[in-house]
Amino acid sequence: MAIIDARTLPDASPMEADLVIIGGGLAGITLAKELAGGPLKVVILESGGLDIDMENQALYAGSGVQKAPGNPDRPFDDYPVQSRVRALGGSGMVWGGKCAPLDPADFAERAWIPHSGWPVTRAQMQPYYDRACDLLEIPRFPLKRPASTEANLQPLALDPADGFFPAPREFSKFTGGRDKAAFDAFRTGFAEAPNITVYLHANVVRIRREDDQVTGLDVACLDGKRHTAKAKRYVLATGGIENVRLLLASDDLGNAEDLVGRFFQGHVTYSSEGDDQNEGTAIAVSRAVPMDLYAPGKGLMPHCVIGSGLAGQARMKTGNFTATLFRVNASGPETPVAADTLTLGKGGGRLAGQGDGQLLGYFAMTEHFPNPDSRVTLDPEHKDALGMPRVRLTWTYGEKDYVDLERSVIGLSDALGASGEGRMCWAIPRNKLLAICNASRHHMGTTRMHADPKKGVVDADLRLHEARNLYVAGSSVFPTSGIANPTLTILALCMRLADHLKSETVQ
Amino acid sequence: MTSRRDLLAALVAMAATPALARAPDAFAGLDPAAVRRIGEAWRKQHPTASIRELTRRLFPAGRGPDALPRLRAQAAADFRRGAVFSYRGWRLSDTEGALFALLSLEP
Repeated sequence: MAIIDARTLPDASPMEADLVIIGGGLAGITLAKELAGGPLKVVILESGGLDIDMENQALYAGSGVQKAPGNPDRPFDDYPVQSRVRALGGSGMVWGGKCAPLDPADFAERAWIPHSGWPVTRAQMQPYYDRACDLLEIPRFPLKRPASTEANLQPLALDPADGFFPAPREFSKFTGGRDKAAFDAFRTGFAEAPNITVYLHANVVRIRREDDQVTGLDVACLDGKRHTAKAKRYVLATGGIENVRLLLASDDLGNAEDLVGRFFQGHVTYSSEGDDQNEGTAIAVSRAVPMDLYAPGKGLMPHCVIGSGLAGQARMKTGNFTATLFRVNASGPETPVAADTLTLGKGGGRLAGQGDGQLLGYFAMTEHFPNPDSRVTLDPEHKDALGMPRVRLTWTYGEKDYVDLERSVIGLSDALGASGEGRMCWAIPRNKLLAICNASRHHMGTTRMHADPKKGVVDADLRLHEARNLYVAGSSVFPTSGIANPTLTILALCMRLADHLKSETVQ
Repeated sequence: MTSRRDLLAALVAMAATPALARAPDAFAGLDPAAVRRIGEAWRKQHPTASIRELTRRLFPAGRGPDALPRLRAQAAADFRRGAVFSYRGWRLSDTEGALFALLSLEP
């Protein structure tokens, strides 16, 4: 119906709908798109405007630290404000567009990983993944991918018993960074539907509850205006950190079991440039043909990473692991390290009967295991311009995170070596892992999904255990993080949630 | 009675004794300084390894056309059983380490 600046409304305006979606990021927009043109009157409350504005961004500001055993704490105060975008379209404004589904293993309960297991399987998610791919106009991700016949697109011939497989990645154009015109249409077009209204600059600062029902929302604008919003049902979709902030700031809503904000999981990449003693993270591939399946010549191109499937994880007693390969300009033998690398690579390639092979770089990623001590809390001593307490992020790794990372690297190294496909270099000391890792903007796990109210904040339908007309959308509901960029899974879960909301309406 | 054929076979076998043996041509032309560094690193962990011993281990049936596939199989088996040699962060099979050691020792 419209996109309205909430600052232009008379003070204390009531906003009423069948469904209020808190947050106009990719989750909220996807949900609204699914409901557009339907019988439900839908309101989206978005904190930001159409453009990125620093005054709005400042509402994210908080403090943070990363912690890991045997590593010095890493201050991370800028992370909360730098890792999300407050605007219609949310962090899609700066998203790289990379899409991948979670692997079947990510959904499985794995006895060697505490708190693992989703109340839904990958097979059950497949139709929603397909719909999410269609929305983002990317190829679908079938559970079994057809093989290419082209020589440069052949997967590494690793022994299936080792459990590594080529896990595909695609790129959507619907991001502010890739195709702004397409993304602008994506993030605003749905509001033309007669049943949709988007309010910009409308910050929800409190969720009001009576017993197990949410009864309304307090909405604040930075210019001082205050409004209210009321609906039959609500969806909280403000991101993995802000979802926590709003729930905790609303009298600990959903936190009867002290789970809200715990189990924060983030993705980081591990790589090293090398030094005068070591090559850094590199793979000497035995084959001489271009490895375009894994390392296409340009960035933002469809490609595969080497992933660790359930069989491999069970064998190694590890979590998910990927190696993302990329082309490097191989240096000449000017230094002993470079000369040794060339020689080792040639030796491996010739031993495999493949010639001199080629050198590729890689970065490693591992699943961040669910950890109750990795958490988002409120800092009541510091408040934002709207009076909301700021957040404290304590991003914590356990011993198992790093042990399993190293074990996975060894597992892939041995699989490459045993198959004759290559040799792998890894020379990052464990006590340097925290300092060298690069953090993504993926925030997961803080309102985890579980059928048991003692183990999860939301149920399998994404409904808050404590408030039966409030749902949570976004990666905060992920029980485990996998490694794939979470956006596609967020959208697939929103498709699923939309179906649930529609079916409830019919009933 | 030794036949002429047996005598020739014996001479060929003598020619393949460790001191005179060469690695398969597949490894020709590698950077000698790099080969020496890698080989010496492996030998630090195996200080008693000699040309004769390495040759016996790596080429038990000589250096004919079967030598390379046999080395390949040995290297694969090494990775499977965790018999590895780490060098500058690279994870190599122990067989490769021994091969570089032999290459570095041979004149």
